Amino acid sequence: MFNLPTTNIGGPELFVLEFGDIVIYFSPYTAALFLFALIFTALAIVSRPEQQVDITFGGDAYYAKEVDLNSLQFQRFMAIACGLATLGAMVTGDVFNFTLFASMVGITNIGIVAAYRNRHVLNAAFQYGIVAMLASVPLFGGAAIILANTGTLSMWELFTDALVVPIIAKAFLVIGIMGEGMAPFYVAKAEITRAQGAPFILMIHVSSLLLFLRVIEIVLSM
Amino acid sequence: MDITYPVGLLVVAIALIIGFTAIVLERDDLHRILLTDLAEILALVLIALVATDLAEALILPGLVVGISELMAVSEVYITREGLRAPPAEPAFHIEVMDSAPGILALILVGYGIILSGFTGGVVAAVGTVFYFMCRGHDERFELIETVSGYAWAIWIGAFFIFMFLPQYWFFAVMMAGGAILLKVMAKMSLVGTMRGGPDV
Repeated sequence: MFNLPTTNIGGPELFVLEFGDIVIYFSPYTAALFLFALIFTALAIVSRPEQQVDITFGGDAYYAKEVDLNSLQFQRFMAIACGLATLGAMVTGDVFNFTLFASMVGITNIGIVAAYRNRHVLNAAFQYGIVAMLASVPLFGGAAIILANTGTLSMWELFTDALVVPIIAKAFLVIGIMGEGMAPFYVAKAEITRAQGAPFILMIHVSSLLLFLRVIEIVLSM
Repeated sequence: MDITYPVGLLVVAIALIIGFTAIVLERDDLHRILLTDLAEILALVLIALVATDLAEALILPGLVVGISELMAVSEVYITREGLRAPPAEPAFHIEVMDSAPGILALILVGYGIILSGFTGGVVAAVGTVFYFMCRGHDERFELIETVSGYAWAIWIGAFFIFMFLPQYWFFAVMMAGGAILLKVMAKMSLVGTMRGGPDV
Protein backbone atom coordinates (compact mmCIF):
# COMPACT_ATOMS: atom_id res chain seq x y z
CA MET A 1 0.00 0.00 0.00
CA PHE A 2 2.74 2.42 0.91
CA ASN A 3 3.80 3.71 -2.45
CA LEU A 4 2.70 7.24 -3.01
CA PRO A 5 0.55 7.07 -6.19
CA THR A 6 1.65 10.41 -7.62
CA THR A 7 5.39 10.95 -7.39
CA ASN A 8 5.73 13.63 -10.04
CA ILE A 9 4.54 16.45 -7.77
CA GLY A 10 5.71 15.76 -4.25
CA GLY A 11 8.43 13.28 -5.18
CA PRO A 12 8.78 9.74 -3.79
CA GLU A 13 7.75 9.19 -0.19
CA LEU A 14 10.50 9.25 2.40
CA PHE A 15 8.73 8.14 5.55
CA VAL A 16 5.26 6.87 6.41
CA LEU A 17 3.52 6.73 9.78
CA GLU A 18 0.27 4.82 9.92
CA PHE A 19 -2.56 5.59 12.37
CA GLY A 20 -5.32 3.27 11.22
CA ASP A 21 -6.40 4.65 7.85
CA ILE A 22 -4.89 8.05 8.57
CA VAL A 23 -1.43 7.82 7.06
CA ILE A 24 1.06 10.59 7.75
CA TYR A 25 3.72 10.84 5.06
CA PHE A 26 6.78 12.81 4.13
CA SER A 27 7.75 13.41 0.51
CA PRO A 28 10.66 15.69 -0.41
CA TYR A 29 8.13 18.49 -0.96
CA THR A 30 6.21 18.14 2.32
CA ALA A 31 9.42 17.39 4.22
CA ALA A 32 10.87 20.70 3.03
CA LEU A 33 7.72 22.54 4.12
CA PHE A 34 7.78 20.66 7.43
CA LEU A 35 11.39 21.63 8.03
CA PHE A 36 10.61 25.27 7.26
CA ALA A 37 7.70 25.29 9.73
CA LEU A 38 9.88 23.52 12.31
CA ILE A 39 12.61 26.17 12.03
CA PHE A 40 10.10 28.98 12.53
CA THR A 41 8.47 27.21 15.47
CA ALA A 42 11.91 26.83 17.05
CA LEU A 43 12.55 30.54 16.44
CA ALA A 44 9.25 31.37 18.16
CA ILE A 45 10.28 29.23 21.12
CA VAL A 46 13.72 30.75 21.66
CA SER A 47 13.39 34.35 20.52
CA ARG A 48 12.48 37.48 22.43
CA PRO A 49 10.07 40.01 20.93
CA GLU A 50 11.31 43.08 19.15
CA GLN A 51 11.06 46.45 20.84
CA GLN A 52 9.14 48.79 18.60
CA VAL A 53 9.88 52.51 18.64
CA ASP A 54 7.48 55.08 17.25
CA ILE A 55 8.90 58.42 16.19
CA THR A 56 6.57 61.40 16.25
CA PHE A 57 6.39 63.20 12.97
CA GLY A 58 8.12 66.56 12.81
CA GLY A 59 9.91 66.35 16.13
CA ASP A 60 12.64 64.60 18.08
CA ALA A 61 10.29 62.78 20.44
CA TYR A 62 9.84 59.03 20.25
CA TYR A 63 8.20 56.47 22.43
CA ALA A 64 9.03 52.79 22.88
CA LYS A 65 6.33 50.14 23.02
CA GLU A 66 6.91 47.74 25.87
CA VAL A 67 5.71 44.12 25.73
CA ASP A 68 4.69 43.04 29.21
CA LEU A 69 5.38 39.52 30.41
CA ASN A 70 1.79 38.28 30.37
CA SER A 71 1.07 39.20 26.79
CA LEU A 72 4.53 37.97 25.80
CA GLN A 73 3.80 34.54 27.28
CA PHE A 74 0.36 34.34 25.69
CA GLN A 75 1.66 35.47 22.33
CA ARG A 76 4.53 33.02 22.40
CA PHE A 77 2.19 30.18 23.36
CA MET A 78 -0.14 31.05 20.48
CA ALA A 79 2.79 31.31 18.05
CA ILE A 80 4.01 27.86 19.08
CA ALA A 81 0.48 26.44 18.78
CA CYS A 82 0.29 28.01 15.33
CA GLY A 83 3.60 26.36 14.44
CA LEU A 84 2.39 22.97 15.65
CA ALA A 85 -0.85 23.27 13.66
CA THR A 86 1.19 24.18 10.58
CA LEU A 87 3.47 21.18 11.16
CA GLY A 88 0.40 18.95 11.31
CA ALA A 89 -1.08 20.41 8.15
CA MET A 90 2.19 19.86 6.28
CA VAL A 91 2.42 16.11 6.85
CA THR A 92 -1.15 14.85 7.31
CA GLY A 93 -2.47 12.32 4.82
CA ASP A 94 -6.15 13.01 5.42
CA VAL A 95 -8.10 15.81 3.75
CA PHE A 96 -10.36 16.51 6.70
CA ASN A 97 -7.46 16.64 9.14
CA PHE A 98 -5.83 19.12 6.79
CA THR A 99 -8.91 21.37 6.91
CA LEU A 100 -9.01 21.11 10.70
CA PHE A 101 -5.34 22.09 11.00
CA ALA A 102 -5.97 24.99 8.61
CA SER A 103 -8.84 26.25 10.78
CA MET A 104 -6.67 25.90 13.85
CA VAL A 105 -4.01 28.05 12.20
CA GLY A 106 -6.73 30.66 11.66
CA ILE A 107 -7.74 30.58 15.33
CA THR A 108 -4.17 30.84 16.61
CA ASN A 109 -3.49 33.71 14.20
CA ILE A 110 -6.29 35.66 15.89
CA GLY A 111 -4.92 34.60 19.27
CA ILE A 112 -1.42 35.93 18.52
CA VAL A 113 -2.67 39.51 18.19
CA ALA A 114 -5.75 39.33 20.44
CA ALA A 115 -3.80 40.34 23.56
CA TYR A 116 -3.15 43.85 22.27
CA ARG A 117 -5.19 46.84 23.29
CA ASN A 118 -4.47 48.73 20.07
CA ARG A 119 -7.81 49.48 18.45
CA HIS A 120 -6.53 49.21 14.88
CA VAL A 121 -4.96 45.83 15.54
CA LEU A 122 -8.09 44.52 17.25
CA ASN A 123 -10.25 45.82 14.44
CA ALA A 124 -8.08 44.06 11.87
CA ALA A 125 -8.08 40.87 13.95
CA PHE A 126 -11.86 41.05 14.16
CA GLN A 127 -12.35 41.46 10.42
CA TYR A 128 -9.81 38.72 9.76
CA GLY A 129 -11.65 36.45 12.21
CA ILE A 130 -14.92 36.99 10.37
CA VAL A 131 -13.27 36.12 7.04
CA ALA A 132 -11.55 33.07 8.55
CA MET A 133 -14.85 31.83 9.95
CA LEU A 134 -16.61 32.31 6.64
CA ALA A 135 -13.72 30.51 4.93
CA SER A 136 -14.40 27.41 7.00
CA VAL A 137 -17.64 26.96 5.01
CA PRO A 138 -15.88 26.22 1.68
CA LEU A 139 -13.07 24.47 3.56
CA PHE A 140 -15.26 21.92 5.32
CA GLY A 141 -17.69 21.95 2.39
CA GLY A 142 -14.89 20.93 0.03
CA ALA A 143 -13.85 18.04 2.30
CA ALA A 144 -17.51 16.96 2.65
CA ILE A 145 -18.07 16.99 -1.12
CA ILE A 146 -14.90 14.93 -1.60
CA LEU A 147 -16.19 12.43 0.95
CA ALA A 148 -19.65 12.29 -0.65
CA ASN A 149 -18.28 11.75 -4.16
CA THR A 150 -15.42 9.36 -3.52
CA GLY A 151 -16.30 7.75 -0.20
CA THR A 152 -12.88 8.42 1.29
CA LEU A 153 -10.80 11.25 2.70
CA SER A 154 -7.46 9.46 2.62
CA MET A 155 -5.00 11.16 0.28
CA TRP A 156 -3.45 7.76 -0.48
CA GLU A 157 -6.65 6.75 -2.25
CA LEU A 158 -7.59 10.17 -3.60
CA PHE A 159 -4.23 10.54 -5.34
CA THR A 160 -4.82 7.43 -7.48
CA ASP A 161 -6.39 7.64 -10.94
CA ALA A 162 -9.30 5.42 -9.89
CA LEU A 163 -11.06 8.22 -7.98
CA VAL A 164 -12.10 11.45 -9.65
CA VAL A 165 -12.47 14.43 -7.34
CA PRO A 166 -14.98 17.02 -8.64
CA ILE A 167 -13.45 20.34 -9.63
CA ILE A 168 -15.86 22.23 -7.34
CA ALA A 169 -14.44 20.42 -4.28
CA LYS A 170 -10.89 21.35 -5.29
CA ALA A 171 -11.97 24.96 -5.81
CA PHE A 172 -13.66 25.00 -2.40
CA LEU A 173 -10.49 23.73 -0.72
CA VAL A 174 -8.34 26.41 -2.35
CA ILE A 175 -10.86 29.19 -1.58
CA GLY A 176 -11.06 28.01 2.02
CA ILE A 177 -7.28 28.14 2.46
CA MET A 178 -7.17 31.54 0.76
CA GLY A 179 -9.75 32.79 3.25
CA GLU A 180 -7.48 31.70 6.11
CA GLY A 181 -5.04 34.38 5.07
CA MET A 182 -3.96 34.42 1.42
CA ALA A 183 -4.04 37.00 -1.29
CA PRO A 184 -7.36 38.74 -1.87
CA PHE A 185 -8.52 38.23 1.70
CA TYR A 186 -5.11 39.20 3.01
CA VAL A 187 -6.15 42.86 3.19
CA ALA A 188 -8.05 42.04 6.35
CA LYS A 189 -4.75 41.10 7.97
CA ALA A 190 -2.63 44.03 6.84
CA GLU A 191 -3.21 46.17 9.93
CA ILE A 192 -2.30 43.23 12.17
CA THR A 193 1.39 43.85 11.54
CA ARG A 194 1.13 47.03 13.62
CA ALA A 195 1.16 44.78 16.67
CA GLN A 196 4.57 44.56 18.26
CA GLY A 197 6.42 41.28 18.80
CA ALA A 198 8.08 40.50 15.49
CA PRO A 199 8.96 36.80 15.53
CA PHE A 200 5.48 35.86 16.74
CA ILE A 201 3.68 38.09 14.27
CA LEU A 202 5.81 36.56 11.48
CA MET A 203 4.32 33.18 12.32
CA ILE A 204 0.99 34.45 10.94
CA HIS A 205 2.49 34.98 7.50
CA VAL A 206 4.67 31.87 7.48
CA SER A 207 1.77 29.59 8.40
CA SER A 208 -0.51 31.02 5.70
CA LEU A 209 2.19 30.71 3.06
CA LEU A 210 3.00 27.11 3.97
CA LEU A 211 -0.70 26.17 4.04
CA PHE A 212 -1.15 27.53 0.56
CA LEU A 213 1.87 25.64 -0.79
CA ARG A 214 0.51 22.46 0.72
CA VAL A 215 -3.05 22.85 -0.57
CA ILE A 216 -1.68 23.39 -4.08
CA GLU A 217 0.18 20.08 -3.82
CA ILE A 218 -2.97 18.31 -2.60
CA VAL A 219 -5.21 19.79 -5.29
CA LEU A 220 -2.73 19.02 -8.08
CA SER A 221 -2.23 15.46 -6.91
CA MET A 222 -5.95 14.68 -6.67
CA MET B 1 -30.38 8.81 -1.12
CA ASP B 2 -29.66 9.62 -4.77
CA ILE B 3 -32.30 12.39 -4.87
CA THR B 4 -31.82 13.55 -1.24
CA TYR B 5 -28.20 14.62 -1.62
CA PRO B 6 -28.60 16.97 -4.63
CA VAL B 7 -31.75 18.47 -3.10
CA GLY B 8 -29.90 18.99 0.17
CA LEU B 9 -27.00 20.60 -1.67
CA LEU B 10 -29.43 22.93 -3.41
CA VAL B 11 -31.00 23.95 -0.11
CA VAL B 12 -27.55 24.60 1.38
CA ALA B 13 -26.57 26.65 -1.68
CA ILE B 14 -29.69 28.81 -1.35
CA ALA B 15 -29.10 29.21 2.38
CA LEU B 16 -25.47 30.19 1.73
CA ILE B 17 -26.50 32.84 -0.79
CA ILE B 18 -29.01 34.28 1.68
CA GLY B 19 -26.52 34.14 4.56
CA PHE B 20 -23.58 35.66 2.68
CA THR B 21 -25.79 38.42 1.27
CA ALA B 22 -26.94 39.21 4.79
CA ILE B 23 -23.32 39.40 6.01
CA VAL B 24 -22.36 41.72 3.16
CA LEU B 25 -25.33 44.02 3.86
CA GLU B 26 -25.05 43.97 7.65
CA ARG B 27 -23.14 46.89 9.21
CA ASP B 28 -23.40 46.09 12.92
CA ASP B 29 -20.41 44.02 14.06
CA LEU B 30 -22.25 42.05 16.72
CA HIS B 31 -24.87 40.99 14.19
CA ARG B 32 -22.11 40.03 11.78
CA ILE B 33 -20.65 37.65 14.36
CA LEU B 34 -24.06 36.02 14.77
CA LEU B 35 -24.60 35.75 11.00
CA THR B 36 -21.12 34.27 10.59
CA ASP B 37 -21.98 31.61 13.13
CA LEU B 38 -25.12 30.81 11.15
CA ALA B 39 -23.04 30.47 7.97
CA GLU B 40 -20.65 28.17 9.81
CA ILE B 41 -23.54 25.89 10.73
CA LEU B 42 -24.13 25.47 7.00
CA ALA B 43 -20.63 23.96 6.74
CA LEU B 44 -21.75 21.37 9.29
CA VAL B 45 -24.92 20.79 7.24
CA LEU B 46 -22.70 20.10 4.21
CA ILE B 47 -20.85 17.45 6.21
CA ALA B 48 -24.09 16.06 7.64
CA LEU B 49 -25.54 15.62 4.13
CA VAL B 50 -23.02 12.84 3.50
CA ALA B 51 -24.99 10.87 6.12
CA THR B 52 -22.49 8.16 7.00
CA ASP B 53 -20.87 7.19 10.30
CA LEU B 54 -17.69 8.92 9.18
CA ALA B 55 -19.59 12.16 8.51
CA GLU B 56 -21.11 11.90 11.96
CA ALA B 57 -17.64 11.62 13.44
CA LEU B 58 -16.45 14.63 11.41
CA ILE B 59 -19.23 16.94 12.62
CA LEU B 60 -17.83 17.01 16.17
CA PRO B 61 -14.35 18.40 15.33
CA GLY B 62 -15.96 20.76 12.81
CA LEU B 63 -18.29 22.06 15.49
CA VAL B 64 -15.47 22.41 18.04
CA VAL B 65 -13.31 24.38 15.60
CA GLY B 66 -16.27 26.58 14.69
CA ILE B 67 -17.09 27.32 18.32
CA SER B 68 -13.49 28.13 19.19
CA GLU B 69 -13.26 30.50 16.23
CA LEU B 70 -16.49 32.11 17.37
CA MET B 71 -15.14 32.46 20.92
CA ALA B 72 -11.86 33.97 19.70
CA VAL B 73 -13.65 36.53 17.53
CA SER B 74 -16.12 37.34 20.32
CA GLU B 75 -13.21 37.84 22.71
CA VAL B 76 -11.58 40.25 20.26
CA TYR B 77 -14.92 42.05 19.92
CA ILE B 78 -15.32 42.37 23.70
CA THR B 79 -11.76 43.69 24.10
CA ARG B 80 -12.14 46.11 21.20
CA GLU B 81 -15.41 47.54 22.46
CA GLY B 82 -14.12 47.59 26.04
CA LEU B 83 -17.23 45.81 27.29
CA ARG B 84 -17.47 44.91 30.97
CA ALA B 85 -20.18 42.93 32.71
CA PRO B 86 -22.03 45.05 35.28
CA PRO B 87 -21.63 43.75 38.85
CA ALA B 88 -24.72 41.69 39.60
CA GLU B 89 -26.26 40.51 42.84
CA PRO B 90 -27.25 36.82 43.02
CA ALA B 91 -30.80 36.40 41.74
CA PHE B 92 -32.06 34.87 44.97
CA HIS B 93 -30.69 33.50 48.18
CA ILE B 94 -32.43 31.07 50.51
CA GLU B 95 -31.18 29.19 53.51
CA VAL B 96 -31.03 25.78 51.85
CA MET B 97 -28.40 27.17 49.50
CA ASP B 98 -26.04 27.44 52.47
CA SER B 99 -26.62 23.98 53.89
CA ALA B 100 -27.30 21.72 50.92
CA PRO B 101 -24.49 22.26 48.34
CA GLY B 102 -21.79 20.23 50.07
CA ILE B 103 -23.70 17.02 50.56
CA LEU B 104 -25.72 17.20 47.31
CA ALA B 105 -22.65 17.94 45.22
CA LEU B 106 -20.83 15.06 46.90
CA ILE B 107 -23.67 12.63 46.14
CA LEU B 108 -24.00 13.76 42.52
CA VAL B 109 -20.26 13.72 41.85
CA GLY B 110 -19.96 10.31 43.53
CA TYR B 111 -22.81 8.89 41.47
CA GLY B 112 -21.30 10.41 38.34
CA ILE B 113 -18.00 8.67 39.02
CA ILE B 114 -19.85 5.35 39.33
CA LEU B 115 -21.66 5.97 36.03
CA SER B 116 -18.45 7.22 34.27
CA GLY B 117 -18.26 8.29 30.63
CA PHE B 118 -20.47 11.02 29.12
CA THR B 119 -23.49 10.34 31.36
CA GLY B 120 -21.35 10.32 34.49
CA GLY B 121 -19.72 13.57 33.43
CA VAL B 122 -23.10 15.25 33.04
CA VAL B 123 -24.36 14.01 36.43
CA ALA B 124 -21.15 15.07 38.17
CA ALA B 125 -21.30 18.43 36.38
CA VAL B 126 -24.79 19.05 37.74
CA GLY B 127 -23.28 18.56 41.19
CA THR B 128 -20.44 21.03 40.63
CA VAL B 129 -22.70 23.57 38.91
CA PHE B 130 -25.08 23.39 41.87
CA TYR B 131 -22.16 23.87 44.23
CA PHE B 132 -20.77 26.87 42.36
CA MET B 133 -24.26 28.33 41.95
CA CYS B 134 -24.80 28.34 45.71
CA ARG B 135 -21.31 29.13 46.94
CA GLY B 136 -20.06 31.46 44.24
CA HIS B 137 -17.46 30.56 41.66
CA ASP B 138 -14.48 32.85 42.00
CA GLU B 139 -10.91 31.59 41.80
CA ARG B 140 -11.77 27.96 41.13
CA PHE B 141 -11.58 27.84 37.37
CA GLU B 142 -7.82 27.62 37.11
CA LEU B 143 -8.03 24.25 38.85
CA ILE B 144 -10.88 22.99 36.68
CA GLU B 145 -9.11 24.06 33.51
CA THR B 146 -5.93 22.30 34.62
CA VAL B 147 -7.84 19.10 35.40
CA SER B 148 -9.57 19.32 32.03
CA GLY B 149 -6.21 19.64 30.28
CA TYR B 150 -4.79 16.60 32.01
CA ALA B 151 -7.99 14.66 31.27
CA TRP B 152 -7.57 15.45 27.59
CA ALA B 153 -3.99 14.18 27.66
CA ILE B 154 -5.11 10.95 29.38
CA TRP B 155 -7.85 10.54 26.78
CA ILE B 156 -5.36 10.86 23.92
CA GLY B 157 -3.02 8.48 25.76
CA ALA B 158 -5.84 5.91 25.87
CA PHE B 159 -6.17 6.20 22.09
CA PHE B 160 -2.47 5.54 21.66
CA ILE B 161 -2.89 2.37 23.73
CA PHE B 162 -5.77 1.30 21.45
CA MET B 163 -3.54 1.84 18.46
CA PHE B 164 -0.19 0.48 19.54
CA LEU B 165 -0.96 -1.95 22.40
CA PRO B 166 -4.42 -3.29 21.57
CA GLN B 167 -4.05 -6.20 24.01
CA TYR B 168 -4.39 -3.73 26.91
CA TRP B 169 -7.73 -2.44 25.60
CA PHE B 170 -9.51 -2.75 28.96
CA PHE B 171 -7.01 -0.47 30.68
CA ALA B 172 -7.41 2.03 27.84
CA VAL B 173 -11.21 1.90 28.11
CA MET B 174 -10.96 2.71 31.82
CA MET B 175 -8.54 5.55 31.14
CA ALA B 176 -10.74 7.01 28.39
CA GLY B 177 -13.89 6.61 30.49
CA GLY B 178 -12.37 8.37 33.49
CA ALA B 179 -10.89 11.13 31.36
CA ILE B 180 -14.11 11.80 29.47
CA LEU B 181 -15.91 11.97 32.82
CA LEU B 182 -13.51 14.69 33.99
CA LYS B 183 -13.65 16.54 30.67
CA VAL B 184 -17.43 16.60 30.35
CA MET B 185 -17.71 17.59 34.01
CA ALA B 186 -15.24 20.44 33.61
CA LYS B 187 -16.87 21.71 30.43
CA MET B 188 -20.39 21.58 31.81
CA SER B 189 -19.28 23.36 34.99
CA LEU B 190 -17.67 26.10 32.94
CA VAL B 191 -20.71 26.48 30.71
CA GLY B 192 -23.08 26.30 33.66
CA THR B 193 -21.37 29.10 35.54
CA MET B 194 -20.61 31.39 32.61
CA ARG B 195 -22.12 34.63 33.79
CA GLY B 196 -19.16 36.86 33.20
CA GLY B 197 -17.56 36.62 36.62
CA PRO B 198 -14.03 37.93 37.17
CA ASP B 199 -12.32 34.59 36.57
CA VAL B 200 -14.50 33.12 33.86
